[in-house]
Amino acid sequence: MKKFYTIKGACPQDCPDTCAMIYKVEDGKIAKVIGDPDNNLTKGRLCAKLNNFAEHHYNPERLLYPMKRVGKKGSNDFARISWDEALSEIKKNWQSIIKEYGAEAILPHAYLGNLGSLNGLTSGDRFFNALKTTVAEKTYCESGSSTAWMLTYGPIGGLDPESFAYSKCLVFWGHNPLSTQTHCWPFVLEARKKGAKIIVIDPVRTRTAKQADIHLAPKPGTDAALALSMINVIIEEGLYDAEYVGKYCSGFIELRKRAAQFTPEKASKICGISAENIILVAREFAKSKASAIRLGVALERHAGGGQAIRAITCLPALVGAWKYPGGGAVQMTLWSYPLKWDKMSRGEWIKPGTRVVNLLDLGAALTGEKYNTDITPIKSLFVYNSNPLCMAPNQNKVRMGLERDDLFTVVSEHFMTETARYADIVLPASMQGEQLDIMFSWGHFNILLNQKAVEPAGECVSNTELFRRLSKTMGMTRPHLFMTDWELIDEYVDWDSDTMRGIDLEVLKEKGWARLWVGGSPDIRAPYSKGNFPTPSGKCEFVATGAAEGNHVKPALRSGYTYFQQGSAIDPIPCYIPPYESVDSTPELAKKYPLAMVSGKAHAFLNSQYANEKLQKERQGEQIIIIHPNDANKRNLNSGEDVKIFNDRGSFSSIVEISEDIRPGVIYANVGYWDSMIKSQTGVNNVTDDRHTDMGESGAYSDILVQVEKM
Amino acid sequence: MAHIVTNKCQRCRFTHCVEVCPVACFHGDEERLYIDADTCIDCSACIEVCPVRAIYDQYDMPEEYQTCIAINSKALDFPVIDTKHEPLPTAMERKKELGY
Ligand code: SF4
Ligand code: SF4
Repeated sequence: MKKFYTIKGACPQDCPDTCAMIYKVEDGKIAKVIGDPDNNLTKGRLCAKLNNFAEHHYNPERLLYPMKRVGKKGSNDFARISWDEALSEIKKNWQSIIKEYGAEAILPHAYLGNLGSLNGLTSGDRFFNALKTTVAEKTYCESGSSTAWMLTYGPIGGLDPESFAYSKCLVFWGHNPLSTQTHCWPFVLEARKKGAKIIVIDPVRTRTAKQADIHLAPKPGTDAALALSMINVIIEEGLYDAEYVGKYCSGFIELRKRAAQFTPEKASKICGISAENIILVAREFAKSKASAIRLGVALERHAGGGQAIRAITCLPALVGAWKYPGGGAVQMTLWSYPLKWDKMSRGEWIKPGTRVVNLLDLGAALTGEKYNTDITPIKSLFVYNSNPLCMAPNQNKVRMGLERDDLFTVVSEHFMTETARYADIVLPASMQGEQLDIMFSWGHFNILLNQKAVEPAGECVSNTELFRRLSKTMGMTRPHLFMTDWELIDEYVDWDSDTMRGIDLEVLKEKGWARLWVGGSPDIRAPYSKGNFPTPSGKCEFVATGAAEGNHVKPALRSGYTYFQQGSAIDPIPCYIPPYESVDSTPELAKKYPLAMVSGKAHAFLNSQYANEKLQKERQGEQIIIIHPNDANKRNLNSGEDVKIFNDRGSFSSIVEISEDIRPGVIYANVGYWDSMIKSQTGVNNVTDDRHTDMGESGAYSDILVQVEKM
Repeated sequence: MAHIVTNKCQRCRFTHCVEVCPVACFHGDEERLYIDADTCIDCSACIEVCPVRAIYDQYDMPEEYQTCIAINSKALDFPVIDTKHEPLPTAMERKKELGY
């Protein structure tokens, strides 16, 4: 007889939905993974990326054993070794590097290939901090948004996406939830049934934009001008909530003065949308009262991304939207979770003065362009939860760094990614069904327990086990480095927090998930109806108190380390910073490279994850760029042809799709495709730049100019 | 790529699927349902709930139903069905016929 059981889990991906899952196990194998039908958001379904998650665990190409490189870097020539050999090889190399250059010559590289509290962003922090390596500043995503959001509101989770059902006007700004936050959509449809308007602001006519009542397609990177102009209209037409602003907001006079510079006519020129449409959207937003804004990650990926978010976050407070259930804004609900980030990272173990390397500068750091590498070079790179050769900007520079023969690279992975091909040692990582974790979300307020359904495949290990093994290998003795997974769960979550009322491990083991106590059910929740924002002034800050050191990275993204913050001053009043590269701001450059390129998330991939799965590849199709008919005609292009996209940094090839789903002067490409899937054997990030934006050291991925020509 | 309602739906129209669809992309006439491929997000939620397994992911749809792709492309000619309806009177008989 077959042995059958089910066990509760949670999706590991860096996606706001953090779905509640059920693993169906048959004879020791995960036979199927389904969305928990009883969960308030998941409601029985996963998504185009994960709905064959069981099969993903058994993909025949999975890495199952440690391996050692035997061929040239990048060549995929590896030989199986034992864990003992792998660890002693790491030890031997690191000891000699530490002896000669110090531990700062080792650079960890991680991001959110797994979102778990145990196995995610910070899973290696304690080990690397104890080893005294260079500190990684991990700002791939949402860093600038977080900095800007908190300058306005403080660390609040904001509007509950479940409350969208009670919104009267929903604005998705630089966000395409129908591909990247699908489980919020039923709430949007519920609101629409009750008469809510859906507004999408995006240079691309995305899946979500196609469903909108109003779609505005501004020029990339001009969102701040649009938001300031909306503020202008709202104030000049007297549509703001004077009482709410008077009681719970600070800096109205200054904001009004700044916004006065952005008349709809002026903003129309900057943004490339009509003044009428700006006025229309401003009025709709102000008059709907329970108006909501979902800020997308795309917003921060421009020179002035942080200020754009500052401007946009002023809007709900200005119209008093926070007074109503379904009104307000959401950046990341994550800020409401009772997580002990200090315990997760142990920033206090870092020696003051230790070097910090921002991971978007990986290429620059490895090639010696930055970070005093003449004094302490980077001699070893440890990559986990990430695939920088695909996802880091300026791919050629990253590749050049990874090619260095004197760089000892270790990569922990599920698959032989293009980054892993450059490793000296490859370590096999377990998948979510094979490990324990406690999951938070950045798109709802549930906390979830992912229980181990089966033993790891082959010799795979979880990140927690990986770092326990490394700690032992390196002769470390701190007891914290050897805590079991259950002990870590106990330590990382503030179980006594008010938000955890009635939630304990027993509840989570049984049900799999629980909703945090964050101020009532979605139909009545309005926790900021009387201000109470955790900012220095206790108000929504139109003028930011923290502006003097406004350009900083939140400690959670830099192992809790406080040294070497960029820390520069920002304009305390929301302002418009033009793009680094655009037809308007760099007309000379635009003569050579006249098209702005925006890169966004694919529907069926999660960054580069799942891009190697047959089903997802089929769903997503080949790498394409979308170009407007006007731009295509100028270049004599026909849909379906191969084109080359290039600038001074590099190039990649793609199939061209001619469509009015993009505004003239802009092209759109999905990221995530592996180089091996693309004719040019280079990816979208071959043309992106490693410049940082105005806040939080975010990457200016979508602030670039390119040219397109027939191949 | 999208999900497809096959002809198995004809004479059934159980409409369990419309209740789980997060994007309301089912359309219907008197006889059956259709999926609007441009709106479908490929979540696959509808597959399991159909009593006669009438819905397939185009990716692994059996050859015999390939003609249904064209039939589904007419979805927008019919109104959205996003609440559960009574199955057609012939539904139980049809279900048996289909072997479920
Ligand atoms: S990727 Fe997002 S939508 Fe898909 S299963 Fe995971 S959490 Fe849910
Ligand atoms: S796959 Fe999902 S989105 Fe598509 S029709 Fe079925 S339930 Fe609706």
